[in-house]
Amino acid sequence: MPKVEMPSGALVLLILRVLRSGALHGYAIAQRIHVLSSEVLHVEEGSLYPALQKILLKGWVTAEWGISETNRKVRFYRLTPAGRRQLEAELSEYDRVNGAIQSVLRTA
Amino acid sequence: MNELFRRLRYLLHRRRFDRELANDLDFHREMAGRAGVPLGSALQLREEARDAWGWTWLDRLSQDLRYAARMLRKSRGFTAVAVLMLALGIGVNVAAFGFFDLMFLRPLPVRDPGTLLKFARSAPQGYADNFVYPEVAFYREHAKKLSAVMASDDAKVTIDNDAEQLTATFVTANLFSDLGATARVGRLFDPVRDEAPDAEPVVVLSQSFWQRHFGADASIAGKTIRINGQPATVVGVASSEFSGLGFSTPDLWAPIAQQPYFVKSSRLTDFSETGFSVPMWGRLQPGVTPAVAEQELKSLAAELHAQHPMDVWEKESLPSEPGGYANRVRHEMVPVLALVGALGLLILAAACGSLGSLLLARGVAREKEIAIRVAVGAGRARLIRQLFTESLVLALLGSVAGFALGYVVLRILTAWAGIPAWIDPTPDGRVIAFAAGMGLAAAILFGLTPAWQASRRRLRGTITRQFLIGAQVAASCILLIVAGLLVRAVDHATYNDPGFDYRQVISIDPALRGYTPAGARVYFIALAARLRGVPGIESVALVSNPPLGNRWTVVNTEIARRAVNVHINHIDPAFLQTMKIPLLLGRNLVPGDARAIIVSESLARLRWPSEDPVGKPFRLGADDLTVVGVSGSARLVSPEDSDAVEVYQLAQADLMPSMVAMVRTTAPPEGLLRPVAAIAKSIDPRLVPEVQLMKSAFRAKLQTAEASAVAVGVLGLIALLLACAGIAGLVGYAVSQRTKEIGIRMALGARPGHVLSVVLRQFSLPVVAGLAVGVGGAAALSTVLRGLLYGVGNLDPIAYSSAMAVFAVNMAVAGLLPALRALRVDPMRALRYE
Repeated sequence: MPKVEMPSGALVLLILRVLRSGALHGYAIAQRIHVLSSEVLHVEEGSLYPALQKILLKGWVTAEWGISETNRKVRFYRLTPAGRRQLEAELSEYDRVNGAIQSVLRTA
Repeated sequence: MNELFRRLRYLLHRRRFDRELANDLDFHREMAGRAGVPLGSALQLREEARDAWGWTWLDRLSQDLRYAARMLRKSRGFTAVAVLMLALGIGVNVAAFGFFDLMFLRPLPVRDPGTLLKFARSAPQGYADNFVYPEVAFYREHAKKLSAVMASDDAKVTIDNDAEQLTATFVTANLFSDLGATARVGRLFDPVRDEAPDAEPVVVLSQSFWQRHFGADASIAGKTIRINGQPATVVGVASSEFSGLGFSTPDLWAPIAQQPYFVKSSRLTDFSETGFSVPMWGRLQPGVTPAVAEQELKSLAAELHAQHPMDVWEKESLPSEPGGYANRVRHEMVPVLALVGALGLLILAAACGSLGSLLLARGVAREKEIAIRVAVGAGRARLIRQLFTESLVLALLGSVAGFALGYVVLRILTAWAGIPAWIDPTPDGRVIAFAAGMGLAAAILFGLTPAWQASRRRLRGTITRQFLIGAQVAASCILLIVAGLLVRAVDHATYNDPGFDYRQVISIDPALRGYTPAGARVYFIALAARLRGVPGIESVALVSNPPLGNRWTVVNTEIARRAVNVHINHIDPAFLQTMKIPLLLGRNLVPGDARAIIVSESLARLRWPSEDPVGKPFRLGADDLTVVGVSGSARLVSPEDSDAVEVYQLAQADLMPSMVAMVRTTAPPEGLLRPVAAIAKSIDPRLVPEVQLMKSAFRAKLQTAEASAVAVGVLGLIALLLACAGIAGLVGYAVSQRTKEIGIRMALGARPGHVLSVVLRQFSLPVVAGLAVGVGGAAALSTVLRGLLYGVGNLDPIAYSSAMAVFAVNMAVAGLLPALRALRVDPMRALRYE
């Protein structure tokens, strides 16, 4: 099966979502999305890090130093209250649009 | 806001952020490497990630700037020529704008100039700049919306027994204190003390007069001097930084309330048309708008009209304009100012044109470099940006150099014009902004097209090049033609009569402003009688607006669809003969002629081209008059104005106090100047008559024309130089580009003339087109000059053809010199080239 790339808007949403349960480093974010999507979604570093920079700029996450499982100093990204609000807003928006698409697909 | 803050924080700590990002990526790769995932370019990835912060343009800009600086340093010769061209183009404009700024835009150095207003009188029946003094005094006493009402007026006086004429300014005594002036020595005027009915007569000296005349005597305060023979106490010396309310530089000040004491039969308190009229200023109370003050003055004027129905107009209002400036741009100055601006911009256009051609030619030389850039992936926008950055750096250097040059020129100009000491010629923010704006405009003009062309890699596309040549040719052609016209005008005025003979005439302005009409008449009768007794004097005549003087009465009108300025002059019957103005048709004016006029031939030709003008009715303002004679055309007051025509009326009795006597001598008049002056003074010793040779008045008048001819001539030469540099550069490049082709042609036996024509042919069309546009532009622009050309037509063929000849010869030399290099091309070397 070919790797599935995703639109950048969706990537931001997924990053925010996987960070809801706690701070993660970049590689872990990519891994988490990969695993949770049953290995369908693949996050390339070429899209992950630009997206993370954008999220940092928006103030939705903060970066802090931590120690990785391989015992290396690395930055962990943590959701800020503004990021949490953004996630809620994006989720409800996603639900709305998704519902609308679903109903079209079912009835048309 | 928060986002902006984070963006700025990133900019400040970008190294740390960059290290952190690099660390993240390293870690990611380490982990991904273990999982066996293939990897892309780390550097590119880092750049893409950094893009999110929005600072990439800054990196590119600094890259471009560094590169531009390196390029310009590498080709020092080109940079020097380019900066010099721009400095000339921008410097001329900075000097012109700086002068305009000094004259018109800077407020006077007085306390709070923004709340000062200057008033005028306006009513359905008329308009006047000045007020009779009692009217000013009334407003001063009653206006509540103005914290001060001031008047200031210049007059000629003499001091002690000196023959030298001095300028005294009569001012309301509140002027110094209200404008925040400080005394250098002693005190200045005090409204309470110096305007009291029993106040002793006082004067304040100007600092320069005090230094010149009293040797900066520190104990001057309290000394008594005689003004017009009347003793007065010097109370102090005003500092040279004090400007007053206008541009004049008086030698001393006296309270206007004491004017009757100093000036014989003063009409200061005369509340009528013939009274002493002065300009009026006011200072707004805090928080009051000009409209509110005008409203109050209007109702005060209505009140005053009820008391003096004859002298204050019905429905008189007092329109105001900002009063805190030495000069205001008047309606009639606009064309001349626009002309100066246009000439300045033409220089800039010529500079940008030649620089543009140089850049274009350089673009050809940089073709390889640009090709490499495109090959490694530079986009077109990126290329334009980079090349334009180079132009911007050049423009910045040019602006700085132009600013310095402009400042030097301005200093010379102000020193030459002898401006008052309180003007500080240091450029202000406006001038700096102007220089910067000029630089930017220049960069766009000279830099954008070549950059665009180079990026399209269509350098040999000749349209742009031809356009640039054409623009330079047109711009410098216009400047040369205008200079040629001015030179012709000076030449013409020097060697031709202006329609009257001024060489053997002395004028006497006795300044009888205070006299009654009858008193003035008695004075002139006595003067004429005494003068006629002097051997060597042929005739004496009276005139209201003396020839070559600075008084005039003009009606601007349109006759036969041409704008003409009708100069009205009031004369006595002896005038035409005294000035040697021929009477061509009809008769002279005779005493008692109330409704008769003599018109000049120039007017008659326009108004009645095919009829006899004598006996025709002529309407002048509200008066119906009859033409009784036609005189030769003599532009008395403004010989420089080609559109001026004249009418003469007999001076009625009420005009006598403002008349000037003209004295014709049988021999050169120099020796008679002294005796004539002595006679004019001896009739009334309290007078300060102004006696001068018409010859010197004419010379003074010509000096302005000479100065402008020199100034425009210099501009024209600069433009010519720029155009020549541009053409020489382009031809040189054309030759170097076609070395191979020329070599082949020569090897095949082409004649030298043919080779030259191959090289130069491409330039002939734009040069001819530029010449045509230049001539057309000069013809259009020079209509503004008609009033300054002393009768030389603004389409004068000699000026046009000689300017174009100068231009053509220079262009030919500038083009041929580099083209001749083509003939020295060695065919064998040329073929092996590359």
